[in-house]
Amino acid sequence: MKEFLEKEALICAQCHYCRVCPVYSVIGWESVSPRGRMFMLRSILKGKLEPSIVVEDFYKCTTCGACEVVCQTSIPLVDVWETARADFVRKGFAPLNIHKMLREIAEKTGSPYKEKREDRGKWAEKYKTKEKAEIIYFAGCTASYRTKELAENTVEFFTKVGIDFCYAGADEVCCGSPFLRTGQREIVYEFFKKNYSEWRRRGVKTIVTTCAGCYRTISRDYPKIAEELGYKWDFKVFHTVQIIHKLLKEGKIKLKEWREKITYHDPCHLGRHMGIYEEPREVLKALNTDFVEMERNRENALCCGAGGGVRSQFKEIAMEIGKKRIEEAKRTGAKYIISCCPFCKLHLEQSSEGSMEVLDIIEVVNKKL
Amino acid sequence: MLNDIPSSNDFLQRFLYSHDISFLPFIRTKTPDIVFQPRDEEDVLKILKFARDNLKPVIPRGSATSGYGGVLPVRGGIVVDFFRMNKFNVDEDSKILIAEPGAVWWDIEKELNKKGLSLRVYPTSAPSSTVGGWISQNGYGVGSLAYGSIADNVVKLRVADFSGIRDTEEIEYYVGMEGTTGIITRAWIRVKDYEDFNYYAFHVDAEKAVKLAYASNYYSALFIDRNYIELKNKVANTDLPERDTLVIATTKKMDGNEEIGREIWESRFYPIRIKRLGPSLIPAEVLVPSEKLPLFFRKFNPKAQFGSEVWFIKGGKAAVLSFILCDERRWSYVLYWRYILKALKIAKKLGGQSYSTGYYLSKESKNLRNFKDLFEFKKKVDPNNLLNPNKVFPSGLLPKLIAIAEVFS
Repeated sequence: MKEFLEKEALICAQCHYCRVCPVYSVIGWESVSPRGRMFMLRSILKGKLEPSIVVEDFYKCTTCGACEVVCQTSIPLVDVWETARADFVRKGFAPLNIHKMLREIAEKTGSPYKEKREDRGKWAEKYKTKEKAEIIYFAGCTASYRTKELAENTVEFFTKVGIDFCYAGADEVCCGSPFLRTGQREIVYEFFKKNYSEWRRRGVKTIVTTCAGCYRTISRDYPKIAEELGYKWDFKVFHTVQIIHKLLKEGKIKLKEWREKITYHDPCHLGRHMGIYEEPREVLKALNTDFVEMERNRENALCCGAGGGVRSQFKEIAMEIGKKRIEEAKRTGAKYIISCCPFCKLHLEQSSEGSMEVLDIIEVVNKKL
Repeated sequence: MLNDIPSSNDFLQRFLYSHDISFLPFIRTKTPDIVFQPRDEEDVLKILKFARDNLKPVIPRGSATSGYGGVLPVRGGIVVDFFRMNKFNVDEDSKILIAEPGAVWWDIEKELNKKGLSLRVYPTSAPSSTVGGWISQNGYGVGSLAYGSIADNVVKLRVADFSGIRDTEEIEYYVGMEGTTGIITRAWIRVKDYEDFNYYAFHVDAEKAVKLAYASNYYSALFIDRNYIELKNKVANTDLPERDTLVIATTKKMDGNEEIGREIWESRFYPIRIKRLGPSLIPAEVLVPSEKLPLFFRKFNPKAQFGSEVWFIKGGKAAVLSFILCDERRWSYVLYWRYILKALKIAKKLGGQSYSTGYYLSKESKNLRNFKDLFEFKKKVDPNNLLNPNKVFPSGLLPKLIAIAEVFS
C-alpha cells in the first residue's frame, strides 16, 4: 500500500490538468484538487505533513475519475484515492463521522439506508420473482429504498422480454460500494460473502444490475476480493443497459418512437470506471429521440456530484456540482436528462429542484417496449 | 477591508501554495502568511494596499505549472491566486481576446473555436496554464513558428501596482517579469481566424529539421528526438518509429506522414508523460539559435535516460526542452540537476539563453538587453521590493550559488 502510494505520489508532475475535478471547480482551493492531494500524499510520506490535517480534504472527492482521464503521467488516481482513504481508516484518521454512521447503519440493515433489512424487497411484492435462476437481478440499495421505479421497471422489462431471472429480496445486501469508496473495506468483505453465498445457493451464473455503482463494484472490485479471500469467481456481470443494447442489436426487441429532445448523463461508475459510453447512446437513438449531447460527455462528462461519499458527508458540495450538471443539461435545450444510475437520478432530481425531468434509461425503455 | 475577499491562512493551504512543479534538492522556501483569491481588480488593489501598509511581499500565481520558482513565496507574504479571475471575451471584429489573468488557455481556445477564431500561440501546458502565468513568464509554444512568443501577440495590458491600476502598451515592462513590476489584471491578445491544419511527420535529423521547418511559412513545427520517442513508446504503449521526427502543422499540402504527424500532434500537451519511467524528471530548457540546434544536441548528452523536444520559433530560435529521468529517492538525484546548468552553459556558448528566469535562474536576467532600464523601472514602481521579491532581479545567495554551480557543471 505504502509503496504504491509513494510511487504514484512521486510520479505526479503537478501539471494541474486535473483541475477538471468537479470538487476543485466549485471550491477552488488546492487542498481539494487532485494534484493538491498528490502533493499532500508526497509530503506525508516524506514526514512533512501530518495525515490528520489532510483527511477531510481527501474525502472531498467523488472518485469520479475525471482526473485520471487527463493525467499526464497516467496515474490510476481513483485507486490512489481509495487506497489512501483505506490507509487513513486503518491508521485511525478516518472514516469521517457521517461515513462512520452509515457503516454502523449498514451493519444493522445491510444497506447505508435506515430502512429495515426485511423491507428491502418490498417493492417487488407485486411481481412474481423466482427463488432460483441462472440470472439474478441485483437491485442495489438506492433502487430498493429510494428510486424504486428503477427496480420496478427493470423487473417489468425482464418479464416482458422473457428473461428467466431470480431476485434475492431481503437476502440481498449492499454491494459495498459506498464503503469501498470511503476506505471502510472490512464491512465490504462481509457483504461480499453474504451476496456470494446467496448467488451460489440460487445457482446464479449471471448478475444484472440497474445501478452503475453496483455494476462497477461487482464486476471490478468483487473479483479482486474473491481472489484475496480465496473464493472462485466465475460470474458474468452486466448493467441493464448492456442487456437492452444486446437485445436491440439482435433484433429481439423493438422500441416505439419517443420524439422528445433528450440528453444523456454518463454515470462515472458506468462510463469512466467501466468504459460504457456508446451502449446507452445507441439505445436512446433507437427510440428515435432528438438526442443532443452535453458539452462535457463520455470520458469528459461532469460527475453528478454524489459519489465517493461526498453527498452524504458534504451535501452542499454535492448539490453545487449537481446544479452545474443540470445547468449544462439545460443549455442543450433538452426536456429530459437520462441516466443509467439510481444514485445519479436521485441526486440530479434533487439538484434540478423540479426544473428538469430526470429519468433512468430503463424507465423509458420499459414504457416504449 | 479584506474580509470579503476569498482567502485562507490555514496551514495546509499555505503549505500547498508554496511550491510549483519543481522539486529542487536543498532549496527551501517559506510558506506564505496568507493566500488570497481576488474576484476582480478592486480586490487586487485592496490586496496591494494591504501589502504596502504591512510591507508584505505579493506573489501572483496562475496554475504554478512552471519550474523556475517564479511563484515561490521566498520571503513569505501574500500569494495571490487568480483562480476566480478567469473571465474572458473576444472582440470578433478586431480579433482581440480580452482575458483576466486566471483564464486558462485551452478554455479560451475552445470558446474561440466556436466563433471561428483561434489563438495564435499557446503553451504546451494549455489545458491548465493561465493567461497571466504565461505572459508573466513570456513563453513560446504551439504557433511560435508563425507568431513568435506570447509577448509578440500581446497588444495591451492592464496592470496594478502600489500607485493604482492602468492600461499600458509598454508591455516590455511586464511580459516575462513574473509580477515583479506589477500585477497583470487583464490582457489584450491578438487571435486569428480558425484554420484546419494538416500535420505531417518527417523522419529527419536536427539539421534537416531546421531547414524544413523554416522552408516555408508554416504554422508550427515540433521536433522530437529518437530518445524521446523510445521513452514515449515504452510508457504510452505507442508504436511510433523510433527515429528523430519533425512534425509540421500547416494548411499547405506536404508529403510527410499524416498518420504519425497527427498522432504526435495530438499528444503535444503530454510532453511529460515519460515521467512515469522516472519517477522523477528534470527538465533542462533553453533557447538556442535554430541553426545551432544540431551542435547543441551533439554537445548536450547527459549520462542518463533522457529525451528532447524542440519547438521552432519565428526569427530562427528554437526552444529546446530535454527531459532527464531520474529517481529522487537516490542520492545521485542531486547530481542530475547539474544537467540543467550544463544545457544552459552550452546554449549560451552557442548564442542562446535561458528559456526563463524566475527564481532559480534570476541571474540570467542580467543578460536581458534592457535589464538596466527594467531595474530602474522596478525601483520606481516598487521601492520596497514587495512585488514578487527575489524573482527576475537577482537577490540573495541563490543566484551566486547557481553561478558557481554553472561553472562546475
